[in-house]
Amino acid sequence: MNKKIGVYVCECGPNIPERIDIDKVIEELSSMGEVKTVKRYSLLCSNDGKKFLKEDIEKEELTHVVVAACSPKEHENTFMKVCEEAGMNPYLFQMVNIREQCAWMIPDKEEATSKAIKYIKAGVHRVLFHDPLKQKELEINVDVLVIGGGISGIEASLSLAGPNRKIHLVEKTDSLGGMAGKLSQILPHQGSKIKLVKEKIEQVENNENIHVYTSSDVKEVRGFLGNFEAVVKSNQENKEGIEEEIKVGAVVLATGFEMFDLKENPVYGYGEIENVVSALEFEEMIHSEKIELKNGKKPKSVALVHCAGRKEKGYCSKVCCLYTLKFAHYLKDNLPDVDVKELYMDLCLPHKQDQSYFDQAKEKGVEFIRMDEVEKIKKSGDKIEVEYRNNDKADKVSVDMVVIAPAMVPSQDTSHLAELLNLPLDKSGFFKELHEMLDPVATPMEGVYITGCALGPRNIPESMTQSHATSGKILSSLIPGRKVKPEVKVSEIKEDLCTGCQTCLSVCFYGAISYDPFKGVSVVNEAICRGCGSCVGSCPSGAIRSKHFTYYQLYQEVMEALR
Amino acid sequence: MKNQNVLVIGSGVAGMEASLILADAGMKVHLVEKDSLIGGQTIKFEEVYPNMECATCMLAPKQQEVLQHENITLYLLSQVKKTEGSAGEFKVQIEKKARYVSLINCIGCGACYDPCPVSLDNEFEQGMSQKKAIAVACPGALPNVPAIDADNCLRLNGKKKGCNACEQACGFGAIDFTEKDETINLEVGAIIVATGFDQFDVSGLAQFGYGKHPNVYTAMEFERLYAQNGPTEGKLTLREERPIKSAGIIHCIGRKEKGYCSGVCCMYSMKFAHFIKDKAPEAEIHEFHTDLCIPGKSHQRFYEELSKKIDFIRYEDVEVKGNNGNLEIIYTHSNGKRDSIKSDMVILSPAMIPSKGTKDLAKVLGISQDSMGFFSTQDQNLSPIDSEKEGIFIIGCAEGPKDIPDSVSQAEAAAGRILSLLQ
Ligand SMILES: Cc1cc2nc3c(=O)[nH]c(=O)nc-3n(C[C@H](O)[C@H](O)[C@H](O)COP(=O)(O)OP(=O)(O)OC[C@H]3O[C@@H](n4cnc5c(N)ncnc54)[C@H](O)[C@@H]3O)c2cc1C
Ligand SMILES: Cc1cc2nc3c(=O)[nH]c(=O)nc-3n(C[C@H](O)[C@H](O)[C@H](O)COP(=O)(O)OP(=O)(O)OC[C@H]3O[C@@H](n4cnc5c(N)ncnc54)[C@H](O)[C@@H]3O)c2cc1C
Ligand code: SF4
Ligand code: SF4
Ligand code: SF4
Repeated sequence: MNKKIGVYVCECGPNIPERIDIDKVIEELSSMGEVKTVKRYSLLCSNDGKKFLKEDIEKEELTHVVVAACSPKEHENTFMKVCEEAGMNPYLFQMVNIREQCAWMIPDKEEATSKAIKYIKAGVHRVLFHDPLKQKELEINVDVLVIGGGISGIEASLSLAGPNRKIHLVEKTDSLGGMAGKLSQILPHQGSKIKLVKEKIEQVENNENIHVYTSSDVKEVRGFLGNFEAVVKSNQENKEGIEEEIKVGAVVLATGFEMFDLKENPVYGYGEIENVVSALEFEEMIHSEKIELKNGKKPKSVALVHCAGRKEKGYCSKVCCLYTLKFAHYLKDNLPDVDVKELYMDLCLPHKQDQSYFDQAKEKGVEFIRMDEVEKIKKSGDKIEVEYRNNDKADKVSVDMVVIAPAMVPSQDTSHLAELLNLPLDKSGFFKELHEMLDPVATPMEGVYITGCALGPRNIPESMTQSHATSGKILSSLIPGRKVKPEVKVSEIKEDLCTGCQTCLSVCFYGAISYDPFKGVSVVNEAICRGCGSCVGSCPSGAIRSKHFTYYQLYQEVMEALR
Repeated sequence: MKNQNVLVIGSGVAGMEASLILADAGMKVHLVEKDSLIGGQTIKFEEVYPNMECATCMLAPKQQEVLQHENITLYLLSQVKKTEGSAGEFKVQIEKKARYVSLINCIGCGACYDPCPVSLDNEFEQGMSQKKAIAVACPGALPNVPAIDADNCLRLNGKKKGCNACEQACGFGAIDFTEKDETINLEVGAIIVATGFDQFDVSGLAQFGYGKHPNVYTAMEFERLYAQNGPTEGKLTLREERPIKSAGIIHCIGRKEKGYCSGVCCMYSMKFAHFIKDKAPEAEIHEFHTDLCIPGKSHQRFYEELSKKIDFIRYEDVEVKGNNGNLEIIYTHSNGKRDSIKSDMVILSPAMIPSKGTKDLAKVLGISQDSMGFFSTQDQNLSPIDSEKEGIFIIGCAEGPKDIPDSVSQAEAAAGRILSLLQ
């Protein structure tokens, strides 16, 4: 193909001509071999400018285009689109930034002009070696695999299921509901027994678009957004070991949390001292409507001890303050004479309605005691003594029963699933979000999302909200009939150069590279690769090539700029 | 619901996220913002906790996407004035004020600012700097196109009919004094309210000396004070341009008065301490707090690191006194001891309250406010983003104080709810 390059210099109003002698630029560039035309335009990004560019590309029958203007961050996409509309391959385009990097940087006009000329020439040399890359489109499966059948997994399934979308919901235990299913009252709806979780479970079971697998594990997941394959293994009595392969377009992890093991720290006396119970055991007492000591008597005094495991784990679990307030209310409402003491470090009541539960508990006579730390919980006659320190002074309370609120920790299978799906964990061992601030339910694996306590401690409304968020992300990317467009500027590995050392596997943040044991080489999955280039630099044999940043393209560009 | 149009009110981090997800799904989004720029409160921050990321860098790509998305129509300087109908078929009336500068022709060069003879307090900068009657709120504002303040422009308010200083300076013919306010009528299937929060007014609490002593700052003032694109270009100085040798940061201002904990002030207060320590390592910093509410999974580690470098004081009560230009913080420690320290600067961390127009907007939308003034939601059904009216969702700080990740989660959730209904 005969290469015909067009170079367009945008004035950007007065911005560029004030510092760059455009006539000189045109003169210098015109003499370059493959350059068919060099033109200037006042504001190329305006509607008139784009129309001019399109018509000129067509008229001059250009094969390659270089635009010298502002930052590619501003208008690279704009001009690539114009090239495409003019019938060109949009990747045979190069943008050169002569505004931010020349006109706005260098006060001396001559110097700025000469730098701009070098840059544009470098761009021309680079674009000559561009490959006509093609945007691929892949068919998609819109079904979703949800792992974990707690309230988060339930809510995600209900929100995602539809006439054109099947959901596979896999739960490890023999029933749905998770922790929420064990609670008899749920804050902030204090007072009435919540039917909500039960109702939701029924809705799941009656929904013909949701397939529930209880007593099952996910053994394998492979693939990428729109095209995952997973193996679900049953542990049910009569189906034990039976494996089923399913195909889905996205995966939601909703594997929840577990409780910090109180036996890890002997100061709590948990498991040793009678009537020292965990929050979960107390929830069960509420459920059976029997708040009793081991001897069958009703407690006259109860201490609610917050923050067990907070120091050890290094984070505050956010919901314990709230549910211990729930316990305090329950005790005061059901055993009117009981003396309730809450021993807390900080009251963490971050939601707008939380503080009023605290104020109401105070009104009911609950005593709130600030402490720095529990020193020891021990038996003393019929009573249990909780010794604590506050402001460096030792003190204690003496009660019939102690309820301990343990930290919420990552569920058992978290690290195994992270390995299976190539996902990072955070410092606390929970799944890590793609971006803690702006992408709180996504992961580096496109098409894999996380919701609820699998991400860290949170309450039920927050967990449900996040499940709707995963549903928002999935419903806007996996639309029946639409195709997904993977990144074009990806990397590829040259089989004959790859030694199979697998260095690249460890640097790829997105898990796009796998090792092919039969051929003895590593392979990039183009549908997953984002073209970040990390692997290119890591390969000791120089076997990896980034398709739009090839060694040769960069060499040509740099050589020309340095000439 | 068949109508594929959605109205989003407020273009903070929550409103932008909801708009983008819906627009990606092919819905037509109408995004209404009362100011002349998009991004809400977060674009005022130099850095955001807990990773101390640059907020403007983090948000600029989102803002650009909103501005360029073919499925998003943006209405700036606009407010919703009327709504009727119900889920699936809301009729909405929007009042759009004239900008007098063309979003298409203006390239944001800024040549028009200097010639303008009118200077005003810049509200975006908490009044700490001045701007012209034609100006952008701050460098880096998006869209990067100024707006003319019609109340103060001499030509538009009639004080000097012939003024055309800005028009003459503009090489792009971008200024158009004939532009008129507009009324726009739309039909939408659902409405998302993302109008955010405002800061509790601390000047009512005399014990903190705000307004009386110049070196007592509010949190939002401090955010702008240390921002690279703020009034001092990021130079951390006191009002009289003296370097900061000591600072006291007081949490929970207005918590008692308002009856709730705002949930984010502890963390941003620590962010301030972290920042000052970074810029002025010698500075002595005290954090005066009550409960430390730091529930995020990485937040306690942030606190533990910081507490090696600065003093945390748990207070019962606290006040600020002026003493010949110096400040004194007098407090009762939680152990009952009364004490005081001297400090060059005091930063007050006030409660987050519903944004100014909440009451009017609630009326326009036919929904109610809770006892704290935020929009009411269906908390009792564990559904914090549903208003009491079907088809109207409340997200971000319009629902109650929260941080950026929780605001974004709610935004994505509202989009999820709408897309789920349409399946
Ligand atoms: C004592 C206590 C009281 C509480 N009280 C309240 C309250 O009053 N109000 C409130 O809002 N919140 C409360 N909470 C918090 C609430 O329990 C959580 O927010 C909620 O349970 C989180 O739901 P989830 O689905 O994310 O996790 P989980 O409830 O933990 O559910 C996770 C599910 O995933 C399953 N699973 C785990 N690993 C796998 C695997 N590998 N494969 C398949 N399935 C797997 C588990 O079996 C489980 O069913 C309380 C918490 C505790 C500990
Ligand atoms: C001092 C301070 C520091 C903070 N630091 C951090 C931090 O480091 N990390 C973090 O995670 N969080 C931080 N936060 C919290 C963070 O600011 C909020 O979570 C976030 O701004 C909420 O976004 P939003 O979109 O809900 O509201 P906002 O940011 O308030 O945006 C609301 C938007 O709606 C517009 N609007 C309002 N009313 C109307 C109306 N009637 N019609 C049309 N438009 C309207 C507003 O102009 C605005 O653009 C901080 C808060 C404060 C006060
Ligand atoms: S370019 Fe980046 S994303 Fe692609 S395979 Fe290499 S490391 Fe992975
Ligand atoms: S017309 Fe005059 S007063 Fe008004 S914005 Fe332009 S320069 Fe300023
Ligand atoms: S209105 Fe004109 S002079 Fe002012 S910033 Fe825009 S283009 Fe520049």
